[in-house]
Amino acid sequence: MVSQDDTFVEASRGIDDDRRAELTLGALVCLVVLLLLGMVAFVLREAWPSFAHNGLAWFGPGGSVDNQIQAIFTSGDLREAAQYTFHAWPIVWSTILTTTGAVVIAFVSALFVAVFIVEFAPDWLKRVLEPVVRLLASVPSVIYGLVGVLVVVPFIGNHLVTQGEKASVTPVIQLSGYSLLAAVLILTVTIAPIMIAIFAEGLRSVPRGWIEGSLALGVNRWRTYWKIAVRTARPALVAGTVLAVARALGEAVMLSMVSGSVGFAPNPADGLIFLFEPSRGLAATIIRNTEELSSPPMKHTLYAIAAVLLFSSAMLSLIGWAAKRPMKRYLVAGGSP
Amino acid sequence: MSAVGAPASPGAVRRSESSSSWRLSDRIGLGFAWLLGLLFCAVAVSIVIYLLIQGVRYVRPSLLVTSPSAGYTQSETGGFLDPMIGTLIVALLAMAIAMPVGIATAVWLSEFARPAGLARVAESTVEMLAGTPSIVLALFGTIIFESPALGFLSQTSGGIVFGRSFFAAGAMLSLVALPLVVSTVREGLQAIPTHVREASYAVGKSKIATTRRVLLPAARPSVITGAMLGVGRVIGDTAIIVVLLGATLNLEGVGGVPLLGTLRGTGSTLTSYIYDNAPTGDYNQPNKAYAAAFVLLVIVLALNAGVDVFARRAKELRWG
Amino acid sequence: MKRVSRLAATAVTIASLAIPASAGAVTLFGSGSSAAYPYFQELFRVYHQLHHNVKFKYIPDGGNAGVQDVQAGRSEFAIQTRLPLPSDAGTTWDKLFLDGMCIAVNRSNSASDISLSNLANVFLGIDTSWSQVPGSNLTTTIDPVGRNSSAGSYTFFQTSVLNGKTQSSNVFQAQSDGLVAVAVNRDPNAIGYVGLSQSGSGSGVKKLDVNGLACDAANIRNESYPLFRYIWSVLPNNHPSVAVERFLDWVRTSKVAGRVIGLAGAVPAFNK
Repeated sequence: MVSQDDTFVEASRGIDDDRRAELTLGALVCLVVLLLLGMVAFVLREAWPSFAHNGLAWFGPGGSVDNQIQAIFTSGDLREAAQYTFHAWPIVWSTILTTTGAVVIAFVSALFVAVFIVEFAPDWLKRVLEPVVRLLASVPSVIYGLVGVLVVVPFIGNHLVTQGEKASVTPVIQLSGYSLLAAVLILTVTIAPIMIAIFAEGLRSVPRGWIEGSLALGVNRWRTYWKIAVRTARPALVAGTVLAVARALGEAVMLSMVSGSVGFAPNPADGLIFLFEPSRGLAATIIRNTEELSSPPMKHTLYAIAAVLLFSSAMLSLIGWAAKRPMKRYLVAGGSP
Repeated sequence: MSAVGAPASPGAVRRSESSSSWRLSDRIGLGFAWLLGLLFCAVAVSIVIYLLIQGVRYVRPSLLVTSPSAGYTQSETGGFLDPMIGTLIVALLAMAIAMPVGIATAVWLSEFARPAGLARVAESTVEMLAGTPSIVLALFGTIIFESPALGFLSQTSGGIVFGRSFFAAGAMLSLVALPLVVSTVREGLQAIPTHVREASYAVGKSKIATTRRVLLPAARPSVITGAMLGVGRVIGDTAIIVVLLGATLNLEGVGGVPLLGTLRGTGSTLTSYIYDNAPTGDYNQPNKAYAAAFVLLVIVLALNAGVDVFARRAKELRWG
Repeated sequence: MKRVSRLAATAVTIASLAIPASAGAVTLFGSGSSAAYPYFQELFRVYHQLHHNVKFKYIPDGGNAGVQDVQAGRSEFAIQTRLPLPSDAGTTWDKLFLDGMCIAVNRSNSASDISLSNLANVFLGIDTSWSQVPGSNLTTTIDPVGRNSSAGSYTFFQTSVLNGKTQSSNVFQAQSDGLVAVAVNRDPNAIGYVGLSQSGSGSGVKKLDVNGLACDAANIRNESYPLFRYIWSVLPNNHPSVAVERFLDWVRTSKVAGRVIGLAGAVPAFNK
């Protein structure tokens, strides 16, 4: 017979254990949060001189970005008069172009392919495609970059770019296969499997009853699926797109391998040549210049670029969260990846 | 076009629905889906097969066991044993930090989560970390590890802190793996129905004891899935390695202490080896790059298969 | 029994982790030129064989980046391939040995000679077609390959060939010296400036004569080749490392180092 006192003592010991555990775990979580917030603060603090000097013109056009980078870097030698002038528009424009191009193409393709995989593909094909999609989604991006550099870039350089086109843009830039087209293609191949996987999961969790009800009403299969399942899976579509855009923005290594090494803003007014023009995005610029971190003005400029990337990815998370809220009534399908 | 069958109530006549009776826009839609689906198959298959063919062409068992060395032609430059060891070290180091911290965070978020404000901030911060580009984490790593206070984690000479070592790379990579571990373990814990917890409390166990003895062992498949996903992410990252690992071909340890010296020293991993051997890198040996890519792909395939097995086991748990 | 074995295991682990490093082992940090890096890989190796306790860690991030590393205290010494400028304040420069900057074209190009002014026009974007370079069998557009601004070779080319002007924006900026040779090797229409070390017989590129003089050791030794240059060592003014100074003296003056330099492809200048 356990006395009342015994159980009370044991229960209170349990409560002490819990409180201790809660405090320890809570402290650990606090530490992690502080570390991450500290990271954001550090990056912003190091980035401030570059932004302070340039103001909003930091994002604008004005001169050759590569020359500015060179001036910033060499001014680290002198102990006075550090140069901070930096107009990042060509790099920002390159990032906008590659990201938008890749996300648009990947979104359309991924949506149709996901619908195909979940609904219209024959069973044997379904069983083959699902693991293939998952495998492709987990391939490291440097491998895609390798295939891009060894297959796509020479193909574009040798077969798609003509001598006439090359001659027409020399001496401004060199058309050598490292181009916007290569960058968009490889980036699309990198982010599409992720989108397909998330879209497919979202489509699969649409309640079967809704689809069958629509079919019973006589709506044809395609229309049913399109109007009902895709609509219901909208939170998954948003989640997948946000994830893909975040991945595309932060892709440094692969893009530095295929997009060219020039800080040039491709000009749509150039016609077809526009696709073959080299450029360099924000993340690729950082990774190309990490060896110049010892020059203080260069360090501040690189951190400014990193701050822009950090801010963009934070904004993306926010947009994703805000876009999913009005879709709460579709809670059955989707949710976070 | 394919004929698609409509679900029918039992006993009713099965009428198969041919798409020829649809409106044009719907048929175009279906055709587009088939076209893109097959195109995707073709592209995916060709990429995988291309890599496999190139890999098989250039991979030889000797590459896996010889160290890289400097040289001019492909035959002089050795294999990639050191990058493979480097990948292993970096993965172990990153998971050694990410697993405990990740599981602890997941447990706190799932079982305690008080005060609610802190819980929300923690959730948002981890999600923000998930979306942060790894190049930003790499830059942040240079600030931390080049400070004199942390000089013991890399090399110092004459007051200069080198700041690049396995410790530095491993620590930043653990941040990359952390969100995956947290979300997977949290999902696993939340999938356990409340009656299991209540049964445990009813026999007098405290919350933390319940978690340790009942919940975590039950969520083991999720923990393992989270670990494998984290490892997959870590071995695929190149940006942090390029910035924080010092990019030496061979593992170069520091000082005479065996294990600690290697961790404080520099080296390379399969990903940075591929990056350096691509035509845009310093060494430009495409054959070696293909071989290393093949090995990396095989490792990723194995990890994927493992994730499949354990994710299925997690779903199969029945609580009655 | 269990406790004893566990204690023993712990003791062994701690002891193995605490084995003191070999007495006097020192690692010297350097950075700078990638064009001179092949020479220094050999020099580091031979010096380590002579002095087993000295190891080197060198980052070939470009000569100009190396100088900034020394100024910022991130590196104990730097190797540069251009002359010192007023902006390199706070550092001491010393000549080590001779090297040259060669002009490389693809093997399929029949050009064999180029004048300095023609070369300048190519890299300034004034001459854009191979038909404007006498001796070449090609009529296609020229693809110039050069270096980026952290390279000493870039500044050297700028001062010696372009007379201080910036290279044209269509020049492909390779990240290291070796990559210039790689780019020229792959593109029949390419021309690039690359150091002597990376344009040798194993590199696959063809070297052009400049103003009629070949880029080889003989012409560099008597300083007749127009683009000869010294390889410089850069040390901080304050408290340079004694071990580094000892190494650099060995490189500059010892007979063994002279032989290593010659075998590696450069030209010893002061070695006995």
